[in-house]
Amino acid sequence: MSPGADDELPPPAAAETSSSVGAELSHRDAAHQAAASRLLDRALPPGYREEWARYFAEVPDEEAAAEASEVAERRILVFRLADEWLALPAGLVQEITEPRPRHTLPHRRDQLVLGVVNIRGELLVEISFAALIGLGEAEGEAESRITAFPRLVVLGHDRRRVAFRVDEVHGLHQHAARDVLALPATIGKAASSFATSMIAWQGRMLGRLDGELVLDAVDRGIA
Amino acid sequence: MLFLMFRIGKDRYVLDVEQIEQVLPLMAAKALPGAPPGVVGVINYRGDPVPLIDLSALATGEPSALVMSTRIILVRYPAPGEGEHRLALCAERVIDTIQRDPAAFAATGVEAGTPAWLGPVAADADGFVQWVRAPALLSEEIRAILFRPAGADA
Repeated sequence: MSPGADDELPPPAAAETSSSVGAELSHRDAAHQAAASRLLDRALPPGYREEWARYFAEVPDEEAAAEASEVAERRILVFRLADEWLALPAGLVQEITEPRPRHTLPHRRDQLVLGVVNIRGELLVEISFAALIGLGEAEGEAESRITAFPRLVVLGHDRRRVAFRVDEVHGLHQHAARDVLALPATIGKAASSFATSMIAWQGRMLGRLDGELVLDAVDRGIA
Repeated sequence: MLFLMFRIGKDRYVLDVEQIEQVLPLMAAKALPGAPPGVVGVINYRGDPVPLIDLSALATGEPSALVMSTRIILVRYPAPGEGEHRLALCAERVIDTIQRDPAAFAATGVEAGTPAWLGPVAADADGFVQWVRAPALLSEEIRAILFRPAGADA
C-alpha cells in the first residue's frame, strides 16, 4: 500500500460540519476541503452541458492544422555564409552555438567533413556547408559593418545531425507567403540545387534551402 | 498503479487509469429511446458517437447528480476482434486519483451475486474502494447493439 492512498476528500457530511467539529483535521485543511467540496458540488450553470457537448462535437480542424504546418514551414533560420544570405527551415535547426575546437579526423581529408565537434558531450560531425552546397569563397570585400560573429549551427533531427559553421546568424524569421519568389531560371549560383525559392528579406534575397535535400546530401557526402 | 476514483451513491469505486483516455466535463447527450438501463445516450466526441453509460443509474437506478464534480470518463474499450471502441462513463465525484498496489485488492467473496463489472476491493482508512472493470460493463448483446459495425443494420 502506497502513501498516496489516503489523500482523498472526506465524505460531504464531514466537510460540511468540519467548521464546528474540526478536531482532528487542521482548520486550514478542513476549510480548503469544504471550499473545494462546495465548488465541486455546485449545480451546473445553465447551458453548461450543451456548451461542452458543442465543444467536444467539433472535429479537429484539418484546415487549421494544415495552416499551422504551413506557418511552421515559413519559419526559417537566416544566416550568412561568405557573402551569401541563406535560409533553412527552422524546424530542422537544433541548436546555434559558439564555434568550438574541431577535432580533425585522420584520413578524412575531403572538402566536406572537417572533423568532429563536441556539443555538450555529444560528438557531431562538422561539415563545411560551403563545400556541401558548392559555394565559393567570398568574392567582394567583407561588408564593413558591425563585427559579425561566426556561429556553429546544429542541423537535423533525431540521430541524424550535423554541425556546420556559418559566418553570421541573423536569427529566426517568419516570412510572409507573399515574400516568396520563384527561383530565377537563369540563376548562376551552384546552391540552386538545394534552393527551392527566394525570399525577400530586408531588401535582400535569401536563398531558401530545402532542409531534407541538404540532409540527404550530407548523408551521401559523409558515407 | 494509478486509479481514478469516483462514487456511486456513497461508495467509492476506482477505474484503472491505463484504459482511461480522458476525463470530460458533463455534457449533453443525445438520448437513445429504448436503450438498455444505464445507457444515457450518445455523446459526440470529436465527430465520433460514443455511448454514454451512467454508472450511478446502472448500479442503483438513480441517475448521477447534475453537479460540477460529476464527470464523464472516456475509456477505451477492447472491441471483439480488431481495434478499440470508446465508451463514456458518467460518474459522481470524479475528483481524485489514488495510488494502490493491484495486489492490495481482494475478492469480495460475493462475486457470484454481483454484476460482472464489479471487481475486487481494497481497504483503506475510510472503508473499501472497489475496482470497476470497464470491459465488463456491457453485456455481449448490448455491445453488439452499440458497436454494431456501420452498415450492418441495413
